[in-house]
Amino acid sequence: MRRSDDRILTTHVGSIIRTPELRKLAAAAKDNPGDIQKFNDAVRTATNDVVKRQLAAGVDVVNDGEYGKSSWANYVLERMSGFEHRPDKIYEAAWLGSDRVRFREFMEAEFPRGVKGSPGDACVAPVQYTGHDAVRRNIRDLKAALAANKAQEGFLTAVAPASTGYDAENEFYGTEREYIFAIADALREEYLEIHNAGLVLQVDDAVLANMYDHLMQQSPARYREWAELRVDALNHALRGIPEDNIRYHICFGSWHVPHVSDAPLEAIVDLMLKVKAGAYSIEAANVRHEHEWRVWEKVKFPKDKILVPGVVTHHTTTVEHPQLVAERIVRFARILGRENVIAGTDCGFAQTEGLQRVHPQVMWAKLESLAEGARLASQELWGKKAA
Amino acid sequence: MPRDADRILTTHVGSLVRPPKIVEYVDAMERGLAVDQAAFDELLQQSIDEVVRRQQQAGIDIVSDGEFGKFRSWNFYVLARLGGIEERAIVESQGGSRDRQLFPEFYAEYFPTQKLPKRGTVYTVGPVKYTGQAALKKDIDIFKKSLKGVDVEGFLPVVAPASAVPMFKNEYYKNEEEAIFAVAEALREEYKTIVDSGLYVQIDDAFLPYVYDLSFGSADLEGFRKWAQVRVDALNHALQGIPEEKVRYHICWGSFNTPHVGDVPLRDIVDLVTQVKAGAYCIEMGNPRHEHEWRVWETAKLPAGRKLVPGVISHSTNVVEHPELVAERLVRLAKIVGRENVLGGTDCGFAQSPHVRRVHPSIQWAKLEALAEGARIASRELWGRKAA
Repeated sequence: MRRSDDRILTTHVGSIIRTPELRKLAAAAKDNPGDIQKFNDAVRTATNDVVKRQLAAGVDVVNDGEYGKSSWANYVLERMSGFEHRPDKIYEAAWLGSDRVRFREFMEAEFPRGVKGSPGDACVAPVQYTGHDAVRRNIRDLKAALAANKAQEGFLTAVAPASTGYDAENEFYGTEREYIFAIADALREEYLEIHNAGLVLQVDDAVLANMYDHLMQQSPARYREWAELRVDALNHALRGIPEDNIRYHICFGSWHVPHVSDAPLEAIVDLMLKVKAGAYSIEAANVRHEHEWRVWEKVKFPKDKILVPGVVTHHTTTVEHPQLVAERIVRFARILGRENVIAGTDCGFAQTEGLQRVHPQVMWAKLESLAEGARLASQELWGKKAA
Repeated sequence: MPRDADRILTTHVGSLVRPPKIVEYVDAMERGLAVDQAAFDELLQQSIDEVVRRQQQAGIDIVSDGEFGKFRSWNFYVLARLGGIEERAIVESQGGSRDRQLFPEFYAEYFPTQKLPKRGTVYTVGPVKYTGQAALKKDIDIFKKSLKGVDVEGFLPVVAPASAVPMFKNEYYKNEEEAIFAVAEALREEYKTIVDSGLYVQIDDAFLPYVYDLSFGSADLEGFRKWAQVRVDALNHALQGIPEEKVRYHICWGSFNTPHVGDVPLRDIVDLVTQVKAGAYCIEMGNPRHEHEWRVWETAKLPAGRKLVPGVISHSTNVVEHPELVAERLVRLAKIVGRENVLGGTDCGFAQSPHVRRVHPSIQWAKLEALAEGARIASRELWGRKAA
């Protein structure tokens, strides 16, 4: 993994808003399998465009915008056997915690899924990874785009065991442990494909943090037990892959909701650091978590690892001022060491292919502001000579 | 502003999300339908009673009437209270110009969703006079009645000359400067009446910074400053003889949830702002376009005896500010200008017109509670454990 050796590097969390054409083709391919090839061809072209656009915006470590996936997490249910969709069963949005109780009226008006729940899936047979062709296509598209645009480094996102099937239940395996480890074994195949292709693997795990409030209400031990099992399963899936090629992303859910019941970073930071990754990507740019830079004054950050704090956020349409971005980066760098910080985003901008957390023009302005802020921070941290 | 507190006091910018029943009445009146005026007045009193109590429960020390009694918007309510003007060619509202040029597709999508009040161009056609005595008296009477027996102080937000007639055309006075001073002279009656009643007056002037992006831009900072200087002078003319400590001055860059890339930097206007003879300045600092500007106060001079009311919570995101972040924002400013010179405030109002709601009301209240909690944390840090 590249480090911020002589300036602060920039990256982001992964999902980028799809083009209208891509959305249209994705919908068509769902209705008509004959259109899948057309969609795949469009993804290849769009991946090239989005890599070019990231580099032009000043992002150093780029990805495919997750264009080749339907969503950040549930895409993987299309790449695994053993799950059956349950359109008629409603799964409670436990991952929203008590925000959905305290702000019920708001949720009903602006995020009905939060109070009504949504259909999900059930595991009814052995879980096996079946997505080799799909992930290889993603890899091929990204690598072609990296080469064509002379990008130095690219990352590809994949979901973590804890975040796999967050609206799903196990009806097949005898124990929760067997179920989670079966998922981890399947995911390992995707992780290995990405790693063996020479790309940085980013493992996305919002749900690890999201379940905190709901499970804490049962008992602190229940959350710990739930989370530790999943972290163990993730490490099992990552075994043998050098940490230096892995980024681990947690966040508190990208929904534009109050987030009052979010886990404090302090309460879960040890779980995050247990994951055998070389870089950790966390939220630090929205008003519920911005103050948590101070956590690193107390918590020891492992030597030679990298923190990728969010310094711009999808949570507001207002574009971060580059000087604010620089201020945020510099305070992390002063605690952790400038070479251990890469500037990032709170979360993706399009967690599913149809979603946009801000308008695409605003998203690009935010990524440009991120790059400009990193330049200002580099000047402050290395002196004027920084690029 | 209250001077003897041994903690960080809290307030906000003024407008709060209206109860649905009030919006129904406003809607009917705006469409020219007959309404039962006495029933509306009773509803208004009850609603303002309730919103005063609610602010106090949330931990706000200096509260407003939520601007529930104002029609159209935070600034254009005043057009119905002025004689000698005419509003012509009423059209749909538009957003900022440079920002709009940078983000045309965003603006095309966003603005139609905003239910903004229509507005026209204001012409001065005769001697400008204040004619809103009855409406103003009603605002004051209702609010003062609501404040009785509640342990808070009250401020009433009204509009500054620059924002009352931001883009007016003069057909009566010798020149634009004379016209804007005439508007100021008329508004003086509103300011003075409020202060004479014992309330604080807050003078809202979002258009002062906002016109930079609308009409000037970075290429013509000097032209903008000339435009603004006349308006600041006119405002000070209107404030003559009114005790500074009863006056607050609010600027912001427009409460639209837009990119705000075209906003004028605070450092380019801070000297104009601090010319205003007000005891406190309420300025945005709780959103990511202006949060870094706390550093402006490392070099800008805050005149002696005056206070800052930084926005430490914002209407520009649904996410509720963590009280620790609120405290951090207050403490760093207090360390520069002195703890006794800082109050905790908001970036802007939550409902700039009866129909606007920047966040859901339940989120608005959670934010105001976070503001109060953050101010308590900051007070402990700044005064030690004993702070309330």
